Amino acid sequence: MATTKPAKLPVTVEKPTPYTFDLGLLLANDPNPLNLSTSSSDEPRQREQDLANIARDGAQSLVNQLLTVCPISATADGVLLSLPQPHTPLPREKPIPQPKPETKWSAFAKRRGIAPKTREQRKNLQYNDETGEFERKWGYKGANKAGQDAPIIELKAAKEENRKEGTTVRGDKRREIREKIKRNERSMRKNLKRNEK
Amino acid sequence: MLRQIKPRTARSKRALEKRAPKAVENPKKALFLRGTTCSQVTQDALGDLYSLRQTLAKRFQKKNPIHPFEDASSLAFFSEKNDCSLILFGSSNKKRPHTITFARTFDYKMLDMLEFNLDPSTFRTISQFKTDKIPIGTRPLMVFAGTAFESPVPNEFTMAKSMLIDFFKGETSDKVDIEGLRSVVVVSADEPTSTNTSSDDISSKPVLHLRVYLIRTKRSGQKLPRVEVEEHGPRMDFRLGRMQEPDADMLKEALRKARTNEERTKKNITTDVIGDKIGRIHMGKLDLTQLQTRKMKGLKRDRDPHLLDDDDDVVMEVDEDEEERRRPKQKKKRTLDI
Repeated sequence: MATTKPAKLPVTVEKPTPYTFDLGLLLANDPNPLNLSTSSSDEPRQREQDLANIARDGAQSLVNQLLTVCPISATADGVLLSLPQPHTPLPREKPIPQPKPETKWSAFAKRRGIAPKTREQRKNLQYNDETGEFERKWGYKGANKAGQDAPIIELKAAKEENRKEGTTVRGDKRREIREKIKRNERSMRKNLKRNEK
Repeated sequence: MLRQIKPRTARSKRALEKRAPKAVENPKKALFLRGTTCSQVTQDALGDLYSLRQTLAKRFQKKNPIHPFEDASSLAFFSEKNDCSLILFGSSNKKRPHTITFARTFDYKMLDMLEFNLDPSTFRTISQFKTDKIPIGTRPLMVFAGTAFESPVPNEFTMAKSMLIDFFKGETSDKVDIEGLRSVVVVSADEPTSTNTSSDDISSKPVLHLRVYLIRTKRSGQKLPRVEVEEHGPRMDFRLGRMQEPDADMLKEALRKARTNEERTKKNITTDVIGDKIGRIHMGKLDLTQLQTRKMKGLKRDRDPHLLDDDDDVVMEVDEDEEERRRPKQKKKRTLDI
């Protein structure tokens, strides 16, 4: 490349100290002294020209480095350059997130090798074979409430014996759900307390 | 400190999640605001920087009675309220005319601050340059020129560099369109003069030249294009004023890197050009005493005076060897017990 014909424009930059790059940030460091004319106040035009030359050299070498080092891929969106990860240390904005504290259940599940529920299992929709339609598992018209408002409910002898004072079979399902919610909240509070220690 | 809010709706939950700490962070937002007194020059400069930083910036119009180096708590408050971790505060007074204070926060607490004193005589706004304007959201190239930025010990220049990189890097991505490489931000620092003894005298300090150029590429007849630059503006010359260095612990915390899912490089395992896996293993020191050499009468161990007091037969099996060693110890113990 040293033997450029006069028709060809030079594309290489020669500096006493080589540039260093952080291509992930599109950054070039030019460690050479500026050597601006000392009487800068007299000749602002000359100084601007010097700065523009420094800028041109820096931009040229950065573009050269980008086009030679980074892999180029032509896509429908345009010609893309794949940049490496930046390595200049810059402070973060917020601390690194802490991992969630382990709950009693998650510790148990880990010990027993119980896998967390899949996305499909967590979904609030299930197929009802009888009606042939999808229904919610919980919430509005949830399957867990099915039959609680039926006009006739079969009584179970064993359950009726242990029935609490002042309750009837009406609202049994609702009470059950409430009980579950309360139990869950209790265990959540316990977990919080344990993790505080 | 803001009230700790427990989200009641899915929408507010999403909003809180958006500003929660993340392993891979979203780009920093910049907040532009002014003090009670702020010269037109400083306001113009802030406006230009704001337009270069568009979409990741927020601008306040009202005056704020803040003195960052006396009490930065208001800035930290604004940072938390607006989720901005880069703050540019413009002010102007008799002692420090045309000053832009760069401040960065970490976890909504002030990390570091640095004053950039703008030189009003050389300042030119973007609108004074009649060129095409950079489309918003494009990443500029950055060039830092001058020996001052290369200082191994942190000083005001390295801090200025770090802040300006933070300011101009915008949204980083691993892929960039070649068509989008249209502009270059060049920050050049004058040589620190040796007569720079009186640190209070601001006019004696080296100048930081901030220039933004458009890049024009020309065919050079070679593979790489020839680059030419055209000034786009703004043109700003700064002298660095007061600075507040980051707290060492806070900076250490801020520079920590999140552990990513990316596979960590295993030590001593490399792949060569052909794709063969090469491992380097470390063996213990070779025990050459057991080496079987040519058998000769003269080399028999029995005749070696050094080995005579050791076990008589070295080629003995290991188990027996160990037992032999244990027995005398047990005997010793017994004698001690008695």
